Order: sequence, then structure tokens, then C-alpha cells
Amino acid sequence: MKYVDEFRDPKKADRLLREIRGLVEQIPVCRARPLQIMEVCGGHTHAIFKWGLEGLLPDRVELVHGPGCPVCVLPMGRVDDCVALAEHPNVILATFGDAIRVPGSRKSLLQAKADGADVRIVYSPLDALKIARDQPDKEVVFFALGFETTMPSTAFTVLQAEREGIRNFSLLCNHITIIATIKAILDSPELTLDGFLGPGHVSVVIGTAPYGFIAEHYKKPIVVAGFEPLDILQSIVMVLRQLAEGRCAVENQYRRVVPEPGNGPGLAAIARVFELREFFEWRGLGSIDHSGVRVRDAYARFDAESRFSLPGLKIADPKACQCGEVLKGVIKPWQCKVFGGACTPETPLGALMVSSEGACAAYHNYGGAHLAERRRAASPEVAA
Amino acid sequence: MSADRDGALASLYPFLYGTRKDEAKDNAALLHSVAEKAAHSIAVKQVFFEANKEAVVAAAQGIAEVYRRQGRMFAMGNGGSSCDAAHFAVEFLHPITAGRPALSAINLTADAAMMSAVGNDVGFAHVFVRQLISLARRGDGLIGFSTSGNSANLIAAFAKARELGMATIGVAGMDGGEMGRAGLLDHCLVVKTDSIHRIQETHVTLYHILWDLVHTLLADDRGALAVPAGPGARR
Repeated sequence: MKYVDEFRDPKKADRLLREIRGLVEQIPVCRARPLQIMEVCGGHTHAIFKWGLEGLLPDRVELVHGPGCPVCVLPMGRVDDCVALAEHPNVILATFGDAIRVPGSRKSLLQAKADGADVRIVYSPLDALKIARDQPDKEVVFFALGFETTMPSTAFTVLQAEREGIRNFSLLCNHITIIATIKAILDSPELTLDGFLGPGHVSVVIGTAPYGFIAEHYKKPIVVAGFEPLDILQSIVMVLRQLAEGRCAVENQYRRVVPEPGNGPGLAAIARVFELREFFEWRGLGSIDHSGVRVRDAYARFDAESRFSLPGLKIADPKACQCGEVLKGVIKPWQCKVFGGACTPETPLGALMVSSEGACAAYHNYGGAHLAERRRAASPEVAA
Repeated sequence: MSADRDGALASLYPFLYGTRKDEAKDNAALLHSVAEKAAHSIAVKQVFFEANKEAVVAAAQGIAEVYRRQGRMFAMGNGGSSCDAAHFAVEFLHPITAGRPALSAINLTADAAMMSAVGNDVGFAHVFVRQLISLARRGDGLIGFSTSGNSANLIAAFAKARELGMATIGVAGMDGGEMGRAGLLDHCLVVKTDSIHRIQETHVTLYHILWDLVHTLLADDRGALAVPAGPGARR
């Protein structure tokens, strides 16, 4: 298939892997410890597991799975707020499919639906707006979540609703920003990351300029990467090449999709509809300053937080879950005590097992569970 | 890059563009956060003390017993809880209320040389045990603060305290962890929340109350808050 097969060519993959092995020999830090490269985006995590890329890399290159899955980092209290809204008798709750199974402290949206709540899966916020248009006697609330990637579509939907004068549509805004999150990771005291694979989809919207601080201030290379296996391998080569040459820069491997300046109209819509929250709670990571957005006062009539009374409770994650440690790269998914046992994609305990972009689900779905058993047997202290 | 695009990015990432957010809104969110956190702190304390008031009195009686038999209290903890250990000890050593006597209390986290020596030579799990071996004797008491209840050096010290015949009091958070399960404690007080800040805030209130109760118990020497019934009962 055009534009797909070219990026899955095994011979080219072989060449890139040879280049990776050669570059590793030239990077001094690799002699002391494995090089750590974080793929920020959940889409990359999914692709890395799907294509078995981790197993192809030399031992001295370690991929750290970052927090770039918006469903995975949604705190339990926000899910509870959403369930409370869904249980409101006059509300139709519209959500993306991967958010419907995220466990809240009482139930997930799927369980709320089973209990009689009107929860509907949509592919776009415009689908939710259509429901509102078709059922004016109902309040339609869209469960808005995602990084900068999905913010423009939500913002444009709000602007469309305003243009049409639709009054029964609102959103529960859980949009978050990746840049503040990368900065929070870079400010961690025990940071051992050597470079980043930058998020391809987010970059379509924001361009590459906002990543400049990573190279300039934190002296780490970052390469905006595509999602096919050759994209990822080539991006790793580009990061390693910078490290071998002693350079730190923002580079764009995903040029066929990511324009350097980003998406101007999309950014303008975001700026018009949303404003930064002072802080936002992330599952597993805690509160991160300037990492979320809310609906501006001018559009408060489309803001479910203004229109409905919500519980707004802060709920801790289940104790057995080690999603936070996995998100911070402290442990690998298979090192979590409940991975593959109490926590599976069918019955997820933690959010990282819910979304296909979550590191645990990706690991589990592509044979990671067997690998986990082998590694546990090899290092019994991990299972303790 | 256009000015519009720059403005949009600056509104999303003010820290990258040297811009500041609207001060009034910032302030409103911060004020809301203060109220929310204070309310949470109050609620956690209310729930804990309502559920544990008898256990708190019993722990105070345990400490009072240590002092009645001329024993000393030892206190320990890690990180923020080491500050609680120090705070607990100083409350007893340097009473702020006139007319209350100074009581012997030793903060086991204070000796940096001992902590680093044992930590380096033997292991951090032994930093309190080694001090108890040389300092403590039968009839003394040991109180340990741990937000998770799982600190290995506290568990080891409680085991040694049991061996030595000391009174043992554990102050924990979350589900009490190993401290709650190990069967090494005469008194175990657990603040059942996952917020470490709220746990530690409740611990501070708890040891202030313990200090107060211990002095009250020692002052009238009733041995318990309840007045024994029947002939000869003292008033």
C-alpha cells in the first residue's frame, strides 16, 4: 500500500538497525549504562510494541515509555465526575471509545451505561454536536480529552455550536498539554534520559518551535517522529547521531506530515476557546503546573464544569497499581506486581492497561505477558 | 512565524515565551486550591480522631507508663517523618506549658555520624536498630512515624524493641502497611488516606495531643481517663 509499505521495508529496517549499532559504539555514555530514549507519545509506544522494535534494538539502547497517552493519565476523580454527569437523568454523555472503560472509583462509563446511563461513543466532537442538534430536549456533554492533537477539533466544535446557537451542548474539558509535561519530566531530580522521540500528532498542531527549550536549556536531543516502524528506527538513528556528534537540536523526521510552523488556524481556535489552568492533576504523576486547559469565560455556556455541579473529588489510584512508576519510567510494565495477573486488558486495574496506547496494554497485547513471565523467573526479586 | 501563531503558543506555554497568565484568575484558582486543601486536611483529621479516639488515649497511657517506670521514649522516622520524630522528642524534652515537667525523649534521627556510619557499613535498615542496641533498655518506649508503614528500618527497630522489652507505638498512614501487619506494636495508629501531606499533618496533631494527654495522665496519676468505680475509688 502506497505510503505504508515504504515505511515497513525489512531491508531498510536492517540497514537502520546496523546504523544504530554502529552509533552506539561512538557514544561514550553507552559504555557505562544503557542509553535511555523516551518516546513521549502513546502512539509511538503502541507502534514500538506492535512491531517488536524494542527487541531489535541493541541492549545498550533502552526505550522509556512516556506519559503521552491522555486516557492513561486521566485521574480517577475526573472519571468519577464524568460518571456523575452521565448518571444525570437528562444528560447524554458522548465519549471517545477508549475512555469508556477507564475505571473510576465507583464505576467506569461502560458500567454506568450498563446501569442505564445514556453514554454514547463518538469518533469526533462534531458527532456529539450532531446528537445535541438532533435531541434539543437533552443536555449533551462531550468528554473532551487529549493533548494538543485533539484540542483544535474540540475548539472548532465549540465555535460551531456558538455559530449555530446550540444551547444544549457542553464539554467536560480534560485537555492537557504535552510541553509542560516534558518540562516536568526534565525537571525530575533523578532524570537519566538521554533524548526524546517527539510526538508526531501533537507536532502537527504546534509545530516544532515549542520543543526548542529541550535542546537549548536541558541539552537533550529531540526528534519529532512518525509512527511507522521505519519512522521510529530512523528517529532513533537521528537522536543517536546527535549524541555521537555531541549536538542537541530539535529535528523533524516526520516532515511528510508535520509542518515546522504547525497548524495556524488550529492554534488560533485553541487560543480563542481555551485558557491554561494553573495546574492539573495527572494520574500517577500528581499535579503539574500549566499542564491543562479549561474553557474560557466567554464560552462558559459550553463548559460542563460551569453548568453542572460535579463531585470534584481527588481519588487515589488502586494501591496495587504501579502506573505512576511506569509512567515515570522507573519500572517497565512487566515489573508491575499486577501486570498480566490482576490487571489485564479485559479487566484493567490501572489506566495504562485500558487504552491501546497505554504502555501496559501495548506490552500485553503484543506478547509482553510471556516476556514478563520469563523475566520474572530470571529475576525473582522483581516479583516480590 | 506569524504574530497570531506566536500569541496562541504563548497562551498555551507561557513559561516558554516569558509571558504571565492573568493574575486575577491565577489568584482565584490558588485561593480555591487553598480552601480545598485546608478542607481536606480538616476532614482527614476529623475522620481519623473520631475513629481512633480510644486508641489515642490508649497510646497516651502506654507512653505515660513508660515515664512512670522512669523509662525514656525513643522516636524515629524517615524524611518528613524524621522531622516528626524530632518534633515529638522536643515536645517532651522542652515543654511549652508552664508547670509541666521535661520528660526524657531521644530522637534517633539526630546523629548524622551514626546514621551515615551504619548506613554505609551495614545498611540503612539497621540505622535505628544499632542505636537501640546501645541506648535502650527494658521499660523504655519506641515511637515510629512512617506514612506508608513500610519503612524497613522502622520495622527492624520495632522487632528489636520487642526483644528488648520496650513499649512500641507505630504511627502510619495509608493502610498501615507492614507496621500494621507485623504484630510488633502495642499501639498502631493509622491515618487512612493516600495523601502523604494530609497524613503528616494529622501525625503532627496526633503527637501534640499525645503529649498533652501524657502530661494529664501523669499529673493526676489516675492511670486512665475513666474513674474507677466502686468503694475506695479516688476522685
